[in-house]
Amino acid sequence: MRTLLLIVLSLTAMAVAGLTGCTRGEQQASTKLQVVTTLFPLFDFARIIAGERAEVTMLLPPGMEPHSFEPKPNDIIRISKSGLFIYTSRYMEPWAETILKGTDRRSLRVVDAGQGVSYLKGSAEVGHDHAGHGDHGTDDHAAGMDPHIWLDFSNAVVIVNNILTGFVAADPANAPLYRDNAAALNARLADLDRRYREGLSSCASRTFLHGGHYTFGYLARRYGLEYRSLSGISSESEPSAAKMAAMVRQIRSSGVRYLFAEELLSPRLTETLAGEAGVEVLKLHGAHNLGKDDVQRGIGFIELMEQNLANLQKGLACRSK
Amino acid sequence: MNILEILSYGFIQRALLAGTLIAVLCSVLGVFLVLRRLSLIGDGLAHVTFGSTAIALAFKLYSAASLLVSLPVVLLASLGILKLTEKARLSGDAAIGIVSAVGISAGIMLASVGGGYNVDLLSYLFGNILSITYEEVLIAAGLFCVVMLLLGLFFNDLLAITFNEGLARVSGVRTNLINAVLVMLTALSVVLAMKLVGIMLISSLLILPAVSALQLARSFKACIALAALQGCCSVVAGIFVSFLTNLPTSATIVMLNLLFFGASCGLRRLLGAKSSS
Repeated sequence: MRTLLLIVLSLTAMAVAGLTGCTRGEQQASTKLQVVTTLFPLFDFARIIAGERAEVTMLLPPGMEPHSFEPKPNDIIRISKSGLFIYTSRYMEPWAETILKGTDRRSLRVVDAGQGVSYLKGSAEVGHDHAGHGDHGTDDHAAGMDPHIWLDFSNAVVIVNNILTGFVAADPANAPLYRDNAAALNARLADLDRRYREGLSSCASRTFLHGGHYTFGYLARRYGLEYRSLSGISSESEPSAAKMAAMVRQIRSSGVRYLFAEELLSPRLTETLAGEAGVEVLKLHGAHNLGKDDVQRGIGFIELMEQNLANLQKGLACRSK
Repeated sequence: MNILEILSYGFIQRALLAGTLIAVLCSVLGVFLVLRRLSLIGDGLAHVTFGSTAIALAFKLYSAASLLVSLPVVLLASLGILKLTEKARLSGDAAIGIVSAVGISAGIMLASVGGGYNVDLLSYLFGNILSITYEEVLIAAGLFCVVMLLLGLFFNDLLAITFNEGLARVSGVRTNLINAVLVMLTALSVVLAMKLVGIMLISSLLILPAVSALQLARSFKACIALAALQGCCSVVAGIFVSFLTNLPTSATIVMLNLLFFGASCGLRRLLGAKSSS
């Protein structure tokens, strides 16, 4: 009996200590602006703009495919306690608007980072350009907008500016610092854009084929490349046997030597296609989210895009200048 | 698109081979499971596999290596279902429900405690019939041989406990052992086949061919043969239909099984009307 009492007492003491510790921690942190973001590019941009002056966190747990994310109660509490909430669009995070309805909009500022971006309609699935399949009339992706806006680096600049506007409004005292950081980031993005344009200007192939869901439409349009993916915008749809075969034919007829695979998701289908057509697999990161190891290494959006450029140059057999 | 052209693709050949092996395997197991009121054991054990994969990923064991964790855990879970029905006098569906709910919630808890992974858990959990490798065809063949051999070896005892467990026990059948063999074979099949063709296909192939065959068959052996035939035909036809109609392959196979089930029901009515008149 006495040992039981002892256990109960010590547990209570620990709980109390933990709670007071928590509140103290929160009080300290609350002097800084709390920013919650949804996807990795927004997190990375906000983190750079914030510097030391604000605390930026990302909702998606490492490794999770964002299309299948649903917020937990804790996440909603985190959002309502923060001073600034940043998301991309209702196409990418349809759940964001639902949460926001339930939060107190007077204390929380919301940034729709995709505001003012020119959206593309998504869908260049393989098989759609083949006549005779008869599925053109029932194209259920026709109405769907491609949500991967950050993969056009001029859009990325728009996103940075939207985030900056949110920061300045939420924390005017630090506005000059935020502006400087954003300007430096925009300069790096412009430089990245220039390197992509130069690096992809003289390639043996202008077609890149992708064994995942439709992600790189913006990137392809900006640098004048042909892009075909196995699946549509939804990462959950399953391809038919006919679509797989169409992709294999496309790989063979276009004469590419590499097939690109998406990040985080299992590459089984891509590997099957590559094996069938006798080509190799290269990674192309859509930057939706990072795996745990990459998070711990602190990889940034621009680094990811540099790796992508290297892989694209290899895959398309580009001459580097 | 002619049949030869469709067959010229390696991934189609592998889907046909491994798919039919797994279909026959699941259909035959399904007859025993449906009659023993354990129809949903496939779904239940799949949820446990989800939980065990969360453990495996936390230890950075991917794809094949994750079986080191999944296999023992799911085998134990299948025995747990059996124990619950025996000791706690629960019906099979309740026992499966408990194990399944615990399995999936354990997975979700582990995933949130672990603070994320390097990959998307769900996408690594389920295979796709169109992405089967050469090694996996061999795995399917090995699994097929092991399960069929053991089912054949214990066939009479399995038959006895399926129809009257009490009577079987009195007449000297080691019912505990036979029950354990049945659920463990199911567990082995679910864990391995799920990685190959995905859970939707497994759980439907464990139920639909069996219930269709039960509509028509006059004997137990005929029932097993009919179920195996339906499982096999649905996979072969499903792959070709999916090719011609551009529909997802697994879903097409499930729908064809439903069609077969409807046809079996209709046929039984027709035969019943004839024999009674």
